[in-house]
Parts: sequence; C-alpha cells; structure tokens
Amino acid sequence: MNRKVLIIGLVLTAPLVWILASGFGKNPHAIDSPLVGRAAPTFALRQLNGGETVGLTQGGQPTVVNFWATWCRPCVQEHGVLTAAAARYRGKVKFMGIVYEDTEERIRAYLQRSGAAYPTLIDEAGKTAIAYGVYGVPETFFIDAKGHILYKHAGPLNPQSIEGYLRKLTQGSP
Amino acid sequence: MISIIGQSMILVALISAGAGSILAFISAKKDSAEGTNWARRAAQLFAILLIAANFLMVYALLAPDFSVGYVAKVGSTTVPTWVAVVSLWSSLEGSILFWGAMLGVYVLVSVRDLGDHHPEHLPYFLGVLLACGVFFTFLLAGPANPFTSVPNPLTEGPGPNPLLQNHILMIIHPPMLYGGYVGMTVPFALAMAALLAGNLGADFVPRLRRWLMIPWIFLTGGIVLGGWWAYEVLGWGGYWDWDPVENASFFPWLTATAALHSVIVVKRRGTLKIWSITLILATFLLTILGTFMTRSGVFNSVHSFTQSDIGPTFLVFLAICFVAVILALAARMDRLEGGAGVRDVKSREAMFLLNNLFFVLFTFVVVIGTVFPLLVEAIKGVKISVGSPYFNAMSVPLGVGILFLMGVGPALPWGVASVERTKKALLPPLIGGVIGLAIALPLGLTNGWALATCFAGGYTLVVTTQQFGLGFGRRGLMGTISHLLGPDRQRFGAYTVHSGVVMIIVAIAVSHTMRSHSETTLLKGDSASIGPYSLTFIDVENTVEPHRRVLAARIAVQQNGQPIGELRPAINHYHTQREPIGTPAVRVGVLSDLYLSMMSYETKSGKLGLRAFINPLVSWIWFGTLVMVFGGLLAVLPRRQT
Repeated sequence: MNRKVLIIGLVLTAPLVWILASGFGKNPHAIDSPLVGRAAPTFALRQLNGGETVGLTQGGQPTVVNFWATWCRPCVQEHGVLTAAAARYRGKVKFMGIVYEDTEERIRAYLQRSGAAYPTLIDEAGKTAIAYGVYGVPETFFIDAKGHILYKHAGPLNPQSIEGYLRKLTQGSP
Repeated sequence: MISIIGQSMILVALISAGAGSILAFISAKKDSAEGTNWARRAAQLFAILLIAANFLMVYALLAPDFSVGYVAKVGSTTVPTWVAVVSLWSSLEGSILFWGAMLGVYVLVSVRDLGDHHPEHLPYFLGVLLACGVFFTFLLAGPANPFTSVPNPLTEGPGPNPLLQNHILMIIHPPMLYGGYVGMTVPFALAMAALLAGNLGADFVPRLRRWLMIPWIFLTGGIVLGGWWAYEVLGWGGYWDWDPVENASFFPWLTATAALHSVIVVKRRGTLKIWSITLILATFLLTILGTFMTRSGVFNSVHSFTQSDIGPTFLVFLAICFVAVILALAARMDRLEGGAGVRDVKSREAMFLLNNLFFVLFTFVVVIGTVFPLLVEAIKGVKISVGSPYFNAMSVPLGVGILFLMGVGPALPWGVASVERTKKALLPPLIGGVIGLAIALPLGLTNGWALATCFAGGYTLVVTTQQFGLGFGRRGLMGTISHLLGPDRQRFGAYTVHSGVVMIIVAIAVSHTMRSHSETTLLKGDSASIGPYSLTFIDVENTVEPHRRVLAARIAVQQNGQPIGELRPAINHYHTQREPIGTPAVRVGVLSDLYLSMMSYETKSGKLGLRAFINPLVSWIWFGTLVMVFGGLLAVLPRRQT
C-alpha cells in the first residue's frame, strides 16, 4: 500500500465532498433583491376596470404586491393561492396585482373566468416593474405597515409559503 | 400495467448488476472462468433490461399513458411524435433512465468486444462495470423512479420543457453528451481492471485507447453542439459562457484528451502507465462530478435540472468512487510502473508529458473556478460568481500553450534526439507561424494572445501537414493516400483531429477579439448600420403557438448597399417559463456571421431595441468540430485484419 498516495488522495477528496455537501438545502438560483429591508418604491396606477387610481404610499397597511401576466403559467398556478389568501387576510393586508407585459383584453377575459379578489393595476411602460427590479414573473413583494419590503418571492407561491410570509407580515395569525 | 412491468425490469436489472458484480470479483479472486462467464451473462441481462425499459417508456410517452409517473410529469397529447420521444431525457427521472439505456448499449458492445481476449482483466472489468450499473439502477428503483404509478391519472399532461422543443440541436445534443459521459464508464472499468490485475500490457493498451476514444468523440460533439445550440437559440451572441454545467462537461474532456495522448506513450515507450491510468480514472470521477452538478440542484446554472432528492445519493456515490480509486491506486500502482521513463526533454514523449501537464492544469483551473463560489458560500455565507474574466485569463495562455505543443510534440522523434535533429525538426515549421501572423496582422488582429494563437496555429498546421505527407517521396500521392486510409489510418485520424483543433482554437481567438456589436433603438422604417450591413426595421409579427407567444421583428438586410434578405429575431414568452427568451436570427457566413437579437419592443411607441453582432469565424468552430469527429472516427475504427 502506497501511503503517500492514500493520504494525498483522501486529503483532497474530503474537502471536495464537504464543499459539495454544503450546497444542499440552498437555492442557488435565488437572487437577493437589494430592495429587501428598504422602503418600497411608491406608485399610483390605473385600475384595469377603470376605478380610481390605486397606489402604494409610504406607511399604512401591510401590502402584498404581485407582478403577473396571463401568458405565464406559474402566475396562473398561484392565482388561486393569492385569491384565497386575500380573502383570509381581508382588512389586515392589502393585495395588489400589477400586470406585466400583457394586454388588458387578455387580463380582463382571464379574470372574468378565474375571479378577482383584489385590484389589478396597469403598469404603463413597465415603470413600476423596473422600479421593483422585476426579473421575470411571477414575483411577489411583501411590504410592512411602515412601507418597507420585508420579503421578495420569485416564482409561484403555494399555500404554505404565502401563509408563512403573511404571518410574519402581520406578526401573528389572521 | 406499464408501471408494474417497468419497475419489475428495473428491479431485475438491479439484482443482475449486483449479483453479477459480486460474482465477477469473486471469480477474479478465485480465477474462475465459469464464474466470469456467469457474470458476463448477468451483465448482458442487465443491459438488455435497461434498454427494454427505455423502449417501454417511449411507448408510454407515445401512447401517452398518464398512469406512469414520468409521463404524467412530461407527457402531453398535443406534442408531435418527435417531441414525445425527446421527452425521454427532458426531465430528471427520464434522463437517468436514458443514461441506463446508454450504459446498457456500452455494456453489450464492450463485453462483446472484450470477448475472451483478456481473461486476466475480464472479471475485474465486469465487476467494476456492473458496480456502476448498480448505482444507476438503484437510482431508477428508488429516488429517481420514472415508472411510479399514478393512482388517478389525468387525461392530459404539461409536455416537456419548451426549450427542448425550440431547436433541432436539442434532439442531438443531449444523447451525444450522454454518449460521452456514460461511455467513460468503459475505459474506467478497463483501467481499474488493469490496475487490479496489475497488468497494463502492450496488447491491452490499444483496446483501452479505443474505448477511451469512442466516448471522447461523443463528448467532443456533445459539448460543441451545446455551444452551437446556445448560439442559435439563446440570443446573447456567444456560444460558451463558463457556466458550471458547461464546465462540468469540459473537465472530463480535458483529462480524457490528456489520457488519449499519454496512452500513446505507454504503447510506444512502455512508460507513463500509472499516469495514464490515473487520468482515465480521474476522467470518470469528473463525469460523475459533472452529473452531480447538473442534477443535485446545488450549482447555479441555466442548464441544471430543478432541485431534486438525488443529490445526496450522487454525492455518496462520488465519494465511494473517489475512495475506491484512491485505494486501488495506493494498493496496486507499484505493480504497474515500468519502461524506460522520459530520458530526453527534446523527445516526443517529453512533449506529450508537458502537454498532459497543461491539460491537467487547465482542468484544475476550471474545477477551482466552478467550485469556488460554493466554497465561499460555505465559509462566508456570501454568494459570489466567478465569471468569464477569470476563466478567460487563465485558459487563454493554457490554450495557446497546448496549441503550440500540438506542433512541437509530433515534430520531435521518440526516445533521444540530438540538438541538430531537434533544430531540423522544430525550425522549418516556424514559417507556418510567420504565415499565420502575416494573415492575421493585415486583417486588423492586434490582441497579443490572438496573434500568439495564429502563430501557434500556423506552426502546428505545418507540422500536421508534414505528418500527413510522411513517406510521400517513396509512395507518391496515391500511395500516400492509400497508406493513410489503410495501415496508417489511426495516425491519420489523430492528425485530422489536430487540424480540427487548430481551426477551432484560432476561430475562438478571432471571434472573441474581433467581434463587433452595436445596440440601437429603431422605429418602423428606421435603419442602422454595423460593418458593411445596413439594417432596416420593417414591422413586428405577433404569433401565438400552443406553448409560447412569439414576437418577431422583420429586419431587411443590405450588404454594401445590396439587399441580401430579411432576418427575424424574436422574443418568446413560454407559458411555463418566468423569463422571456430571445431567439436570434443568424446569417451564417464563411468569414463572419451577422447575428441579430431582439432586446425589447414597446407596443405603444413602436420602438424596437435591437442588438447586432458581427461574429467572425464562428462557423469554423462548427466545421472544425466536424473535422475532429471525422478524425476521431478514422482513428477509432479497427484495422482490417490481414
């Protein structure tokens, strides 16, 4: 047995396996938003159905801002989750859906079929999406009562994940 | 029903592989030919079952039978037949099943090829091969089971990843890459057999080299097809981005290429045995590391499969393989070395060794750059990215060095060379280097490394041509051709590969340093120019397909004032994809490509954001690869027995 080879081999292997194992349980695709912890960009946008302008101002009620589109399957997937959560947290958390790169006709037709529980806002020229650094849809921002972004979720929300965020946002159960 | 049959096949294959592997090692220990024969039968049964399981899955995908778990995940009634077949490797479980089919084919062919030629090595070979088979069948039987049964099946499924349906190259690229990855199991098993049997004889080396060459050809084709796909589909104007998964396919290619050269030294001089064996074993370990990178969800890559549970299982297998290789090397390496060693630094074998060191250094550079972000995150908890600047800065000098050594090595004789002979061999090809510079400088190439590449490329091309023409004086033109295609075909093939490599490395250097690009905003009817081209925005077209929305811009192209046609770059919004994906439009040319990529389109203002590139010599990379693969095939085809 060549001990030198044995020792060198094992000394090289152990840290490699440790480094590779350290990556388990982390999401390498997660992109940290520089906005998290900072004041959410304010906006005032036109509603899809022509009601009064809806906006986000500094402070007020905890708010969930969801960027979405009808052509995006994960957005369609999470629509029911958001609708149910909006109903559960009515009066405690404000929900807003901001349309991303889509036409009003398609959005209107989709919401007629699937139902709407909160205002749908039209982001002219995508300025609000740019202000929030939206990389792709769906992306959801959880904003506290002071107007600070507490969390950003990229990808579709499921009942467990949204419940977790909302509990932290309202610091308790609904 | 299909689920039950499929799972039964996998289970029997697992038992065959396990029992066959144990039996093979016992037979090796007891020197039992009968036991080895039974192990061989077990290997054949294992292979046939895995191939059959793949046919069964293809049948289920074509049906489609949504009661089969994998079909429910990627199947659809709306996709064309070819997409249904391609779905086999479009997701994690199917890709492992397809891996199994490839392994099955390799097992059948290699076991038949080995026959009874090397009775001393055969049981070890079967034992190692089947031990690898146990791992992959275990994955299929447990954590990545594609044949799970769906209790209440739906009547429709989501279909495969839309990117797989985007370009014809996605049909060829994954099987080619798998052919390379999976195929490295055979030289690994052969090398382990040589190590365990303590014998790497001259009769064994050609077979080892051939079985290394076959997956190397597939790997070469697979890597470049991946680059070609990225170039034709992704729209960022490049073909290689040092992404972790791209790098993962490159590591084993580097060590396998080094091994292909060092085994020639083993054959010719009887030395570098342990070095060659180590390179082959490392190649296999790197294929497993690469597979782990793609499938564990640990690395941030555009190519990787989604997070899965098989990562830890893969890591355990990787660790077991590392330990097994280290133990085998430590226990048996002293029995293998021999030969005269490298006696003269001016000899061909010395240059082969130097070339090998460059390849190994290159491998370390790429592995370290790829794993470094994970190390920093593990220690500091900070996400960092090691990008092209590091990889380019490190790989360019190494690439130029390898290119130059490809010329110096073959110019020198084996054994010992006098100073006079060395000068006679090395000085005349300098004219090729000078010609390379004489072509590059007037074309405006000013980058130092790119000029060095052209010099080294010209030098190597002269040496390669000299090698083609060896014996020309004696044999004449027809005689030389007939000799090259006949008894000297392996050498001819190897130098054909070298010609392809020269083309590719020069093309990479020129395309990187002489690329020009411009970004512009156009309204309908506006024009912009880049190089000799004038681009006029005509209109946009919006089409809705079942799996995506396509917004394409029509661009009229003129070259030096003459209309040459229309290009249509597009942006695709896939229903299952968060980010939109561009599809560039490329006008391929012999000397340069015109490459247009649509960046944005504002419906209200009608403004088109367009990015245009002129990419010189990119088509040479694809053609050079074809030359490499052709050369590889020439080298690997067995000589006709006389």
